[in-house]
Amino acid sequence: MFFHIVLERNMQLHPRHFGRDMKDKLVSKLMKDVEGTCSGRHGFIVAITGVESIGKGLIRDGTGFVTFPVKYQCVVFRPFKGEILEAVVTMVNKMGFFAEAGPVQIFVSNHLIPDDMEFQTGDMPNYTTSDGSVRIQKESEVRLKIIGTRVDATEIFCIGTIKDDFLGVISDPGSTS
Amino acid sequence: MARRRDDYAEEEDDVDYEDYDGVDGEDGEADDDYDGSGKTKRKRSRSELIDDYAEEDDDDEEEDEDDEDYGGAAGGGKRRRKAASQFFDDEALVDDDDDELEDDEDREEDFIVDDIRDEDDRRIHRRPLLPREDEREEDVEEIERRIQERYSKSLHVEYDEEATDVEQQALLPSIRDSKLWMVKCAIGREREIAVSLMQKCIDKGSELRIRSAIAIDHLKNYIYIEADKEAHVKQAIKGMRSIYPGRIMLVPIKEMTDVLSAESKSLDISRDTWVRVKIGTYNGDLAKVVDVDNVRQRVTVKVIPRIDLQALANKLEGREVPKKKGFKPPARFMSINEARYSCYKIFLFVSFILTCFPPKVDFFIYLTRDLSIRVETKRDPSSGDSFYKIEGMMFKDGFLYKNFSLKSLRTQNVKPTFDELEKFRQSGETGDGDMSCLSTLVANRKKGHFMKGDRVVVVKGDLQNLRGWVEKVEEDSVHIKPNEKGLPKTLAISDKDLCKYFRTGNHVKVVSGASEGATGMVVSVEGHMVNIVSDTTKELSRVFADNIVESSEITSGVTRIGDYELHDLVLLEDNSFGLIIRVLSDAFQVLKGVPECPEVALVMLRDIKQKIFMKIFATDQYKNTVSVKDVVKILEGPFRGKQGPVEHIYKGVLFIHDRHHLEHTGFICVTSKSCMVVGGSRSNGDRDGNTLISRFAHLRTPSCATQYPMRPPRGGPGPINNFGGRNGGGGRGLVGAAVKIRVGHYKGSKGRVVEVKGSTVRVELESQMKVVTVERSYISDNVNVSTPFRETSRYGMGSETPMPPRTPLHPCMTPLRDSMVSSPV
Repeated sequence: MFFHIVLERNMQLHPRHFGRDMKDKLVSKLMKDVEGTCSGRHGFIVAITGVESIGKGLIRDGTGFVTFPVKYQCVVFRPFKGEILEAVVTMVNKMGFFAEAGPVQIFVSNHLIPDDMEFQTGDMPNYTTSDGSVRIQKESEVRLKIIGTRVDATEIFCIGTIKDDFLGVISDPGSTS
Repeated sequence: MARRRDDYAEEEDDVDYEDYDGVDGEDGEADDDYDGSGKTKRKRSRSELIDDYAEEDDDDEEEDEDDEDYGGAAGGGKRRRKAASQFFDDEALVDDDDDELEDDEDREEDFIVDDIRDEDDRRIHRRPLLPREDEREEDVEEIERRIQERYSKSLHVEYDEEATDVEQQALLPSIRDSKLWMVKCAIGREREIAVSLMQKCIDKGSELRIRSAIAIDHLKNYIYIEADKEAHVKQAIKGMRSIYPGRIMLVPIKEMTDVLSAESKSLDISRDTWVRVKIGTYNGDLAKVVDVDNVRQRVTVKVIPRIDLQALANKLEGREVPKKKGFKPPARFMSINEARYSCYKIFLFVSFILTCFPPKVDFFIYLTRDLSIRVETKRDPSSGDSFYKIEGMMFKDGFLYKNFSLKSLRTQNVKPTFDELEKFRQSGETGDGDMSCLSTLVANRKKGHFMKGDRVVVVKGDLQNLRGWVEKVEEDSVHIKPNEKGLPKTLAISDKDLCKYFRTGNHVKVVSGASEGATGMVVSVEGHMVNIVSDTTKELSRVFADNIVESSEITSGVTRIGDYELHDLVLLEDNSFGLIIRVLSDAFQVLKGVPECPEVALVMLRDIKQKIFMKIFATDQYKNTVSVKDVVKILEGPFRGKQGPVEHIYKGVLFIHDRHHLEHTGFICVTSKSCMVVGGSRSNGDRDGNTLISRFAHLRTPSCATQYPMRPPRGGPGPINNFGGRNGGGGRGLVGAAVKIRVGHYKGSKGRVVEVKGSTVRVELESQMKVVTVERSYISDNVNVSTPFRETSRYGMGSETPMPPRTPLHPCMTPLRDSMVSSPV
């Protein structure tokens, strides 16, 4: 789920950047550092929407670097257990398939795929129902439910299921939905 | 048994009643009959208890009138005399107690009066399993009451009897007791003989003068018969086969008790338990019990067959093929068709041979007839299933049903591994597989594997499916706190009835078993089996619920196995190379060195040929040297825009570690040509400034771009230069390259290549203002040793900054930080 929250971070700036555009440089450095990272608590930081405040800079002894505490607003993405997401399938193998919903990778094991879908090997491995009506392959969009999340320091990994009602393939690869 | 007794209970009761003064007053029954019979029963039950000590239940033998006093032993707690008087009536009556005396007299009286009925009574008493048909006259009520009394009394009686040492000693056999004779018999038939002696007894009644017959499990070839005289023994076994009257030996009194010493508890094998074979071809194989024959001590099990069809066929053809010693055919399910058709194959082969070399007619007939592995369909009478019989071996569903003796099977500590269970399950078993493995699992479970805080569920008993948390673990029982309201705070439940409980989405760690140390997330739970996705390899594995605990620990696995460490560059079997990105328990995850499509392979330790140590260099898109630890930025391809230090270089392929990159733990594999070095070489200069500036400078690339046009005129030869020169041979298009002459007159001189003419090269010497012509082979690329600054300076001079980020603010000046010498050439 997406959240818009305020986070704080201490940014270090080299003295060469002092001057007229110091704040801009600070902001761009912040963006470079923070966007795209993931923290266990907040989730993936998708984009910084604005900077709330930049505190007074503190010079560090010995190095000359200056530390600024920066408060900024950002959009974060954090998956939760029980959440229902749409995702795009990235890899299919006989143990299940991997799907990505933005920055988070979700694994759906074959135990949590409905029993009537079977794995078919081939150059495009996929899961297909016995009558061939529904097929899950790379680049398909699926709706899945997250049943467990594991949060590393820098990574979030989820397990999902499509074995419930209203879950499963939304559209096939390449087709306009 | 009590029924008969009651018929004449009247008489007995009157007599016996006064004997029981020392006896407990539990008979609150009003009825005399019941009192008496109760007491009588009590007497008997008590004596029965004593008797059990000395004899086995099953094989109680019919006694003769000598045993009249068996039930006669009475008196409160005076078992000594009871024991002795049990066996003899012709002993001198010991005048120890009035009670006892009376008892004996009573008994004798009874004996005289009700000889036969007493016998019968005792017979019935001794063998409650064989009730007489004609005794069913009693009403149900009476029986019921009697039984109640009997058992209530006996409880009390047991309580009374505290065996002290002295009393135990008194129970030892003395010279006055009947003797124990050891009789030789046929091997394997001991139990059978004992049982048939018992049957003989039932039929013959009092004619048989032996008291009991005992067959000991661990003693083969002999049975024990208890009798007073050897003649009695001989007479008893007369006419029986497989027992040899010529070999009767007396057991000395001192050794009599050793005959029946208590054994350690043996696990009774029942159907559907798992066992392991100890001998023969199937040694060590897992097998499932199908049928148990306790008399013969043999068990029928089903096991995955190891049949050598070829040898079988050979045998049938009459060809003597020497059996290969130590050759164990692989375990494979028997396919009946295969057996049938294998003979056809042989037949075809032979017929082909025959057509080529036509033999005599009779030989031909011999061959065709004998070339068939006979497959019969046989029905097993007991189970009603049909089996295929091949060469005396029975097959069904692909399994071989084989008969083993109990000794050759291991029943304790059979831990069926997961693979074996799967194999058995594959051939068409349904859910029973789980049940049987459950029972064995529970039996073999380590004690104390429950811990406080574990989530458990009750799997057996009335409280089945109750979930709770473990509060306390004790020897045999576990205290749990249930989830339900209305139940007491903690319940004590035997640990055999509990099973650990996990829900999907739990994060767990495997603590025992094959995949020990792995962590993962539970995907699904099936009874005792739990499927988890491993953290490190994202693979599914099945483990027993017993082996995992809930934990938030995430293991990164070991970092090295053998010679290879995490993040090493290694050469694989098929000459491909890759970077180790993850180390698993016995294998590595290797990111292959294929720049276009990132490919991760799971490689075993043995598939790695060697580690790659070479310190080589590469050139980036702008012909800068790239060495290990340089920060580069990727300009092309799917990873465009990513940036990071170079971990390894090999064959023009760079392995860059970008910590923002989520895949493959941040490693990216690209060709060096599609990258650009950011900042200077890591070997000189400070880093912080570089990376910082580099980021900012990214914004400045447009300015640099404007300077591009300046480049060609100045550095015509420039772009063509190949400074990488990591593979010296490849860089012969090296006009403008700095080289060193290593052979010839000018050996040792350095210079710059001006022109390349076929196989010769014209070099402008550094030391002299001269241009000399040397062979191509005479020169070697002299790069990176002392000329990094030279290269940079060259470019700097051209006011062209191929590494624009380095000079964001001073485009026309030579870069300062990364060069030791900043003076332009």
